[in-house]
Amino acid sequence: MNSSRPHVHQFILPQRLRRRRALFYSSVLLLTSTATWFMADLLWRDGGITGLEWLLLVLFVILFAQIAVGFVTAMLGFYVINRGGDRQRITRTIDWESEDISLASTAIVMPVFNEDVSRVFEGLRVIYRSLEATKKLEPFDFFILSDSNKPNQWIQEEIAWVELCKQVNGLGRIFYRKRRHQINKKAGNVADFLRRWGKRYRYMVVLDADSIMTGEAIVKLVAMMERNPQTGLIQTAPRLIYGESLYARMQQFANRLYSPIFLAGLNYWQQQDGNYWGHNAIIRVQPFMEHCALPDLPGSEPFGGRILSHDFVEAALMRKAGWHVWLAHDIEGTYEEGPPSLIDSAKRDRRWCQGNMQHAWLIAARGFRPANRFHLFMGVMAYVSCPLWLLFLVLSTIHVFNQVLDQSTRVLGVEAYTQIFGRIIEIPEALVLFIFTMLLLFLPKIISVIATAQRSADAQRFGGRGSLALSAVMEIFFSSLLAPVHMMFNSKFVFFSLLGQGVSWVTQRRGVEDGTDWREAIITHGGQTFFGLVWGVSSFILLPAFFWWLSPVLAGLVLSIPVSIILSKGSLGAHARRIGIFLTPEETQPPHELSRLTQNLAECYKHMRPIEALRNDYGLLQAVLDPYINAVHVSMLRQRRQSEESRDWFSLLRHRLLSEGPSQLTTKETLALLLDAESMIWLHEELWRQPSSSLAEWWRLAMRQYNVLTAAPITALYR
Amino acid sequence: MRAEDYLRAHRIHNRLHQSRLIQAVLERAARRHAENPAIEPTTLAAEETERLMDEWFAEVLEAKDLPHDRIATQGRVALLLCDGPQKWPYAFLNSQANSDEFLKAMRDSSIEAGPDMALSSMVPREIDLGLITEAAGETLERMEKWPLLRLMLLWVLFVGALFGIFYATR
Repeated sequence: MNSSRPHVHQFILPQRLRRRRALFYSSVLLLTSTATWFMADLLWRDGGITGLEWLLLVLFVILFAQIAVGFVTAMLGFYVINRGGDRQRITRTIDWESEDISLASTAIVMPVFNEDVSRVFEGLRVIYRSLEATKKLEPFDFFILSDSNKPNQWIQEEIAWVELCKQVNGLGRIFYRKRRHQINKKAGNVADFLRRWGKRYRYMVVLDADSIMTGEAIVKLVAMMERNPQTGLIQTAPRLIYGESLYARMQQFANRLYSPIFLAGLNYWQQQDGNYWGHNAIIRVQPFMEHCALPDLPGSEPFGGRILSHDFVEAALMRKAGWHVWLAHDIEGTYEEGPPSLIDSAKRDRRWCQGNMQHAWLIAARGFRPANRFHLFMGVMAYVSCPLWLLFLVLSTIHVFNQVLDQSTRVLGVEAYTQIFGRIIEIPEALVLFIFTMLLLFLPKIISVIATAQRSADAQRFGGRGSLALSAVMEIFFSSLLAPVHMMFNSKFVFFSLLGQGVSWVTQRRGVEDGTDWREAIITHGGQTFFGLVWGVSSFILLPAFFWWLSPVLAGLVLSIPVSIILSKGSLGAHARRIGIFLTPEETQPPHELSRLTQNLAECYKHMRPIEALRNDYGLLQAVLDPYINAVHVSMLRQRRQSEESRDWFSLLRHRLLSEGPSQLTTKETLALLLDAESMIWLHEELWRQPSSSLAEWWRLAMRQYNVLTAAPITALYR
Repeated sequence: MRAEDYLRAHRIHNRLHQSRLIQAVLERAARRHAENPAIEPTTLAAEETERLMDEWFAEVLEAKDLPHDRIATQGRVALLLCDGPQKWPYAFLNSQANSDEFLKAMRDSSIEAGPDMALSSMVPREIDLGLITEAAGETLERMEKWPLLRLMLLWVLFVGALFGIFYATR
């Protein structure tokens, strides 16, 4: 590392950082201890603590500590923002106004896997144009790293890539690479890129298929890396955008309103020991290649084997090697999209759950920094806490059941008053603990709302003070209803992951308004509703007072089906937007890049779609029939020497494709043909050579229809 | 008909230009058909269009010795990238109408899926998981080799949980 450069920024002194962390962890400890004291006292009242009560207390401590971590982070963030921002942050290392920013070779990589092609390439167009507008495009190259394994998807990506290159004059600057074998998912995709081209670049900006970053944000990231040669990775905090359903809009509103204080708090105590979230981040290529290639974990999947959630581990490895990892929480112009419904969100959680649980292996790994261990632990706890919460509630029910049987229910009665230093206060102690917990859960949100409402301009960006307050109340109401549903989902995921099982999902049937239909909701949430009903009825029979304590959890479970359906509706999302609910600054004052993308996508989706009979194999149709697309596709393939056997097999496949049509081939066979340059050339020539009588009806229809679809001389981007 | 469709697939939409090209193709196909009537006229028309294109691409790209596959692919890609059919609607298969600008655009157009490779290795390094985790990993790997043991352990856990619930609720 070159630390002798004149402008190297000096960050926080170690003793000051230690003080910050001491404050953070002490606050968490203090809050947890206070709550534990209340809880222990509550459990103690019926004459000592039983084994079950000890278990309840231990679970309470674990769960409460997690709530305290969130609360303290938010409060520290609030303190920092109120003081005008932390002086110790990576974005302060460059004076944007007066300095001439030097840049270095940077690859902008976007790994894609069967994504909406129009969204991917229009997103890339916007990023490219935005970077071009900064007049600093020169050091940047763009890579679409495709792992798509659907024939249609692959061909559409190739077409879209060529069109984009032509339109923005990006040939030789925007590249497309399709992997023949999709090994190790996204981490393997990026590693493959690095092995081929990593040496050419000093930095890479990693994007997701739904990421958008402004040119200014990218330029700033590169400049910050140049200014801080000890920094290996800078993660930005992407904002959620383009939410259409009520659920997605609610998530993006919450993300936009509440996250600034959490992120500022996170940066306050973690500093250069930051984390990596897998995208919208810049990485110094050389150390990443040297230190962040991931080995397999002991055992096989789901617990061991390939590391599924690679990002946290890569950050830990980068730190272990001595490179700084920063969170640029205050950098503007970095966006991503969220899931459109509760069920989609659960599906994403299912993937993340398995990956995060694997991190349990790494918490005690030698050489990792304590902060990275903390990140890994919190990642595990994000999912493991759900079954623990469920267990806590179930054990609480059993506890009440025991007390009712023993006829010692007085603990929940009126005489259970709060005692502080021997003075009895006439408030039921359980209520004090309840209010204390609620305060920790909701105070950061309330503070965010008040702080935003105080600044008139900021409030206007959320639709005005009235809209802001109403949206926040609605968000708190719905998120409270959703919390037990997430608890049930994640408990199931943890349980199934431990057993090495996958979770099955219902095939979605989209209605006119889009969103979750009743069948899907009933099958997905039916178990949760049933569980909630049985639990509710039995707890009411057991002890009505206990039922009312449980009611917020029970309400979420019992209402999960209608809530899931309502929140998934795009029409309700649009209506909410019209009346000013869940508005975000990105909607009220959209940045140029987002407006541009909205317009472009609207244009793309207007294009005529292929007729039903041709739609399923439209990619193959174009690759064989269209002379240009065939040529582009062939020129992207590597010529391979074939054995006699494979030559015969390919010959058979080709003849079958032309005489029987693509429906007679499996996806694997279609992909094999698409990967074979010789076959693709032969197919194109033979299709145009052979008399119609020897071609399958599907191809005859394709030849008649294709000229209609290509009336406009462009290779359109289809959704 | 097939020749017309093929030209349209090349985005040659100008009627006059299309007719001229079709006439040229059909003349060549007819000559061959007379020599060899067994071959389908459709096949002959397609082959003659290809031949015409190969000759034309070789001339335009100044690449006379390339095999058919290469010149056909390279030529079409170049034509697509320089927007040939739109910008020079009369140039396609017409040596007389090839302006210098068109020739330059064709010769400069090439496709690159990626820049020159700079191969390097990215070898995974073992992570020292620490003593306890290592031991747990070894145990897990051993258990994976003994599925019966794993099954028994699972049952023991399940029965243990049942006992726990029974004890807690009795």
